[in-house]
Amino acid sequence: MLWNLLALRQIGQRTISTASRRHFKNKVPEKQKLFQEDDEIPLYLKGGVADALLYRATMILTVGGTAYAIYELAVASFPKKQE
Amino acid sequence: MTHQSHAYHMVKPSPWPLTGALSALLMTSGLAMWFHFHSMTLLMLGLLTNTLTMYQWWRDVTRESTYQGHHTPPVQKGLRYGMILFITSEVFFFAGFFWAFYHSSLAPTPQLGGHWPPTGITPLNPLEVPLLNTSVLLASGVSITWAHHSLMENNRNQMIQALLITILLGLYFTLLQASEYFESPFTISDGIYGSTFFMATGFHGLHVIIGSTFLTICFIRQLMFHFTSKHHFGFEAAAWYWHFVDVVWLFLYISIYWWG
Repeated sequence: MLWNLLALRQIGQRTISTASRRHFKNKVPEKQKLFQEDDEIPLYLKGGVADALLYRATMILTVGGTAYAIYELAVASFPKKQE
Repeated sequence: MTHQSHAYHMVKPSPWPLTGALSALLMTSGLAMWFHFHSMTLLMLGLLTNTLTMYQWWRDVTRESTYQGHHTPPVQKGLRYGMILFITSEVFFFAGFFWAFYHSSLAPTPQLGGHWPPTGITPLNPLEVPLLNTSVLLASGVSITWAHHSLMENNRNQMIQALLITILLGLYFTLLQASEYFESPFTISDGIYGSTFFMATGFHGLHVIIGSTFLTICFIRQLMFHFTSKHHFGFEAAAWYWHFVDVVWLFLYISIYWWG
């Protein structure tokens, strides 16, 4: 990625225009259209399938983790008797 | 479709405050499990869910601003106030560590030998790596200002270059400081000198890493054409934070490395 940027720099020094390069096209207008669609999908899911997967993973880990933390608390609250 | 008749941003419901709060629970209980029961599972889970929350929360802020246009001038003004207040709170956070340092170093107890640095401590030479670190951060302050002006003047390539230089300098500082930590003749458990030195410089180092991360996000956003010459508050917030980190280092250098 770094040598791409160095190449970018050389191109910038040669050409006068600041038009989009080979590697980075301005996709902001497309994104604006996607996220302004009037489809009632919440923002955190509006990007597509990846959003839903990431959301689900985060929820499962946090809620599951909380349950595990409460379990460990319960275990720690009743110390084992030494014989 | 109904439209609002005001310029403010009424944020839509989001799951990230909940997951953030739960991740904080997992991190804190995880610390307790690590300290007392030698298990790192909860802590790792907490760090992971915290990272996931931060990523998605700030991703959504970018969607609300760059993609949906919610950051009108009054909204941006509020964000400016918010960032200033946050940085101010961080100033007070560091003030505590400086207080602790000055409390102990201005009146060294007989147990320390009645002088500062205390008996048995060989402090680091301020004219060696610490001076280099100072020049690295000062230079990064210059390069980030260059990046900002390039951005305001619509000079895309120069902005990218200057921001990259800033990030690399930040990384260089972190590596140098890590090497200093490894080579240091004293540790955090070497009395009050070690405690004040590593608490203050340690939290500073953490803030350098946070600042470098923030700058890297800005770098990626600049590559993706998110910033315009007139509207780039995310970058300005990162720049403010970076200058704050630089100033804290200058105070650290003068107080702990040089005078101390």
